[in-house]
Amino acid sequence: MEEKYGGDVLAGPGGGSGGLGPVDVPSARLTKYIVLLCVTKVLKAVGLFESYDLLKVVHIVQFIFILKLGTAFFMVLFQKPFSSGKSITKRQWIKIFKHAVAGCIISLLWFFGLTLCGPLRTLLLFEHSDIVVISLLSVLFTSSGGGPAKTRGAAFFIIAVICLLLFDNDDLMAKMAEHPEGHHDSALTHMLYTAIAFLGVADHKGGVLLLVLALCCKVGFHTASRKLSIDVGGTKRLQALSHIVSVLLLCPWVIVLSVTTESKVESWFSLIMPFTTVIFFVMILDFYVDSICSVKMEVSKCARYGSFPIFISALLFGNFWTHPITDQLRAINKAAHQESTEHVLSGGVVVSAIFFILSANILSSPSKRGQKGTLIGYSPEGTPLYNFMGDAFQHSSQSIPRFIKESLKQILEENDSRQIFYFLCLNLLFTFVELFYGVLTNSLGLISDGFHMLFDCSALVMGLFAALMSRWKATRIFSYGYGRIEILSGFINGLFLVVIAFFVFMESVARLIDPPELDTHMLTPVSVGGLIVNLIGICAFSHAHNHTHGASQGSCHSSDHSHSHHVHGHSDHGHGHSHGSAGRGMNANMRGVFLHVLADTLGSIGVIVSTILIEQFGWFIADPLCSLFIAILIFLSVVPLIKDACQVLLLRLPPEYEKELHIALEKLQKIEGLISYRDPHFWRHSANIVAGTIHIQVTSDVLEQRIVQQVTGILKDAGVNNLTIQVEKEAYFQHMSGLSTGFHDVLAMTKQMESMKYYKDGTYIM
Amino acid sequence: MGTIHLFRKPQRSFFGKLLQEFRLVAADRRSWKILLFGAINLTCTGFLLMWCSSTNSIALTAYTYLTIFDLFSLMTCLISYWVMMRKPSPAYSFGFERLEVLAVFASTVLAQLGALFILKESAERFLEQPEIHTGRLLVGTFVALSFNLFTMLSIRNKPFAYVSEAASTSWLQEHVADLSRSLCGIIPGLSSIFLPRMNPFVLIDLAGAFALCITYMLIEINNYFAVDTASAIAIALMTFGTMYPMSVYSGKVLLQTTPPHVIGQLDKLIREAGSVHVRIRRDANEQMVLAHVTNRLYTLVSTLTVQIFKDDWIRPALLSGPVAANVLNFSDHHIIPMPPLKGTDDSNPVTSTPAKPSSPPPEFSFNTPGKNVSPVILLNTQTRPYGLGLNHGHTPYSSMLNQGLGVPGIGATQGFRTGFTNIPSRYGTNNRIGQPRP
Repeated sequence: MEEKYGGDVLAGPGGGSGGLGPVDVPSARLTKYIVLLCVTKVLKAVGLFESYDLLKVVHIVQFIFILKLGTAFFMVLFQKPFSSGKSITKRQWIKIFKHAVAGCIISLLWFFGLTLCGPLRTLLLFEHSDIVVISLLSVLFTSSGGGPAKTRGAAFFIIAVICLLLFDNDDLMAKMAEHPEGHHDSALTHMLYTAIAFLGVADHKGGVLLLVLALCCKVGFHTASRKLSIDVGGTKRLQALSHIVSVLLLCPWVIVLSVTTESKVESWFSLIMPFTTVIFFVMILDFYVDSICSVKMEVSKCARYGSFPIFISALLFGNFWTHPITDQLRAINKAAHQESTEHVLSGGVVVSAIFFILSANILSSPSKRGQKGTLIGYSPEGTPLYNFMGDAFQHSSQSIPRFIKESLKQILEENDSRQIFYFLCLNLLFTFVELFYGVLTNSLGLISDGFHMLFDCSALVMGLFAALMSRWKATRIFSYGYGRIEILSGFINGLFLVVIAFFVFMESVARLIDPPELDTHMLTPVSVGGLIVNLIGICAFSHAHNHTHGASQGSCHSSDHSHSHHVHGHSDHGHGHSHGSAGRGMNANMRGVFLHVLADTLGSIGVIVSTILIEQFGWFIADPLCSLFIAILIFLSVVPLIKDACQVLLLRLPPEYEKELHIALEKLQKIEGLISYRDPHFWRHSANIVAGTIHIQVTSDVLEQRIVQQVTGILKDAGVNNLTIQVEKEAYFQHMSGLSTGFHDVLAMTKQMESMKYYKDGTYIM
Repeated sequence: MGTIHLFRKPQRSFFGKLLQEFRLVAADRRSWKILLFGAINLTCTGFLLMWCSSTNSIALTAYTYLTIFDLFSLMTCLISYWVMMRKPSPAYSFGFERLEVLAVFASTVLAQLGALFILKESAERFLEQPEIHTGRLLVGTFVALSFNLFTMLSIRNKPFAYVSEAASTSWLQEHVADLSRSLCGIIPGLSSIFLPRMNPFVLIDLAGAFALCITYMLIEINNYFAVDTASAIAIALMTFGTMYPMSVYSGKVLLQTTPPHVIGQLDKLIREAGSVHVRIRRDANEQMVLAHVTNRLYTLVSTLTVQIFKDDWIRPALLSGPVAANVLNFSDHHIIPMPPLKGTDDSNPVTSTPAKPSSPPPEFSFNTPGKNVSPVILLNTQTRPYGLGLNHGHTPYSSMLNQGLGVPGIGATQGFRTGFTNIPSRYGTNNRIGQPRP
């Protein structure tokens, strides 16, 4: 499609738009507008290249002034804004004044970006129609972007910008970086230059960022000025008036400028021709053709057909502008072949141009699934009726400060989440101090350690979320409540630690084989700081743990410590062990967080020890050995957590209740009227809930509800606090066999029935 | 039946047990193939890791993690064979099918953690980009790609196949589907190839290999070493995108949620059949109700327990009077009548609606019918037809009940709380509500 289209552009008016996909309006009628649009866009590209050449000699403010002056002249000539239309009120004049100021600022940014990164990149970045940018922003900042295609388009756009930023080694970059500060023509450009230099990016990258900013401003400006243009009486009239006002605005500045600074221009006369072309191509022709096309065609189609020729022609001119072929196109011939190296085509630019074309194409296409309606019903004719209102009402946005406040309140309400939150804050603080200091001193080791801390913080964040969510009320989907999330989070944290242990292990093995030389001078203070932070965490969490443990100790009979041997040889044996027994299924989340902090502490200790060994004895082998040891310790300490979490997740009979349940089930059989029971299932659902189901068979003359009460009481004493009992009498099996159950079920049921019959006929006689 | 053998302490050591179970699995011929692939995978991963360190490329490392993930999926496959052989033990009274779910969850989470690690590493690399040697980059890519594809396509991995179909689509799949749809708009003949849902693992393997090829090209042409980091980030993000829906799906199973497909069916059944923490009047035949409820829910929930709960069991004196007065107050229950029975003989009742042969929804593990949605509350207000087995064509209650039906979904969100903790409190409320009754 694009190739065909490109052919059209190059072939001129001869080509048609027949192959351009589905067109609602007969395509032949649109062809001339499309061709007009394409030609205009190509000419606009020419004009921008021209203006780049002009800007080398003319000061930017003067340039904009002349541009605005020329445009205003022509537009007044064509539109006659004063003689036609209704008169303009004072308030509208004020608005037009604002409009003009904004317009001036945007064109200033635009042309300044042009001087920084050249016409090709400016065209690529700035010549996007409003609809493209608006759909890009809606993908990025709202949830309802309009399907995967739009997301892809947005991703392409971002990739294209990144390509320009990272992979475009513009030759001018080096040249621009050399120039001394303060040689700039005016205070304004000097200010902008300093701002870019402050950001720490090269000039041409600064230009890219500036242009992206200007693009966003332009779109906002167009959207904002839409209402004003209706008030005033048409976009064209508004433009004409606004240009006049901006000429008046710029006039004093230009006068001051031309008085104070000496001009680089030798003869203004030779510049008349180029200025005329620029004014015509960039401002007037583009504006009029755009407004015509947007009337005749859809906006999206306009944007689509407009973007392609301008990007392609920008690429072509970027390659051939300084070439002799284009000499007749160039209005200024004097600077012919001297600076052919600046802002040339590079691989990055070509790639980003391709991405820009793709993204403009995707983003400007009308979204098919953008409107998500809810089906209400069917009309009498049978066509489905949709409701499109819902979306707007659903997103009744909560204000962000209030949201933060409420979630903070929730976090601080309970002990666990409060502990995690405080520790997370401490950790983050330490991390940012480290990162900041690392950036300040330009120390890579510190920065990478900061990243590592951030990586660790993600586990804390997950623990915090789990602790928060576990208190949510039961919903329809989570019918037992959210308590089990803590166990799942503990499990994930355990896996996290296993992954960390694995990476540390791999790293240390690699270092054992080939021990690198380290410089240790920065390590000690950092690891001591980390150690202190983590020790605080350990104190806090172990305290919290003992607390919760003490509260729930009553029912927790940890009878076996079968896995405690795993922890042998653990330097922190006391801690790990006490946790192993305290947290057994109790609060896996807190256990996971605790183990994480413990692992970090071990890491800090390891670093300190190995630093001492290296500095004192020069044993470089100590570092990998230490980390090997730590990896094994982390792994061993995390095994019990994972094992316990697995048991809970697999719905195992809680080990600490085994004995009671056994006794309770024996007691159950002594209940009067109860024949037998089947399918006893007991499992721990979350820290507080032990759930169970059981089917009991009773003689036909007992009251079911009494039996249910008795059984519930017995099992409640054994610790099952969420119980369901199915009471079955003989009649039940008869009904079941009568109802159309499957053959196997019937068979099973009859077996049950037989046993009951046996009871009935034989021993069990009331 | 029904006794729990307790205190059966493990006699053998952990490894001994593992070895024994392993022998059990290895006895099956199907698992030989998996073991073979596992061995190849290990060697392959070893080589890849070596090449990773020699090329110093983090993108290749990220791709190697996909190979490691393959190893996990092979293990999951083995576990699913093992699970098939095991019977429920007293401690694990539901059986071991859940282990399969846990394995899937663990492997997807591990893959995501690996991706997180890659992200962290690449963030560090953006600060200081090391040099990448392209020597083994392409070789490694193609070895990993061909091995991954070979494993995916030759081994029928039941758990992962199930999850990848049941879970929601990943963003990668969505984009590919979108692209292929527009491609099929141009060339309709391709629709048979592209339109079916793509296997997410094949997709991520291909996409990762593509990213690595681009990396190789750009590094060879222009020494853009930053591409390596960028494509590592891309692969990590794709891994996230692919694994996230699956881990959410299996995590939900592990969290004992009511599976989403059951909810719709449950609603439907409740509309037709009556709901579940059965609350009936004293003169109703409990066993009859129980049989009906069980029959209706049996196809949905394989391990079903229905507790019948009589409203006025504690107040036997207060009886008579229309139930409808408080029926409409039970806003947290479904108030839907059981279909009246036409049979007259208890031993041979005729069902009014046949049980639906619906496909059993998964909850306990991936393709067994759900368990433990079980304890449900049934409010049965239509009493006499059961008790006496007579057909009351239009009882005075039925109009009331229809009113109750006219407001469907009043308690729909609450009705299926499977918990049973608050029975006493319900007693209390019922007492309170029941007061105005004569």
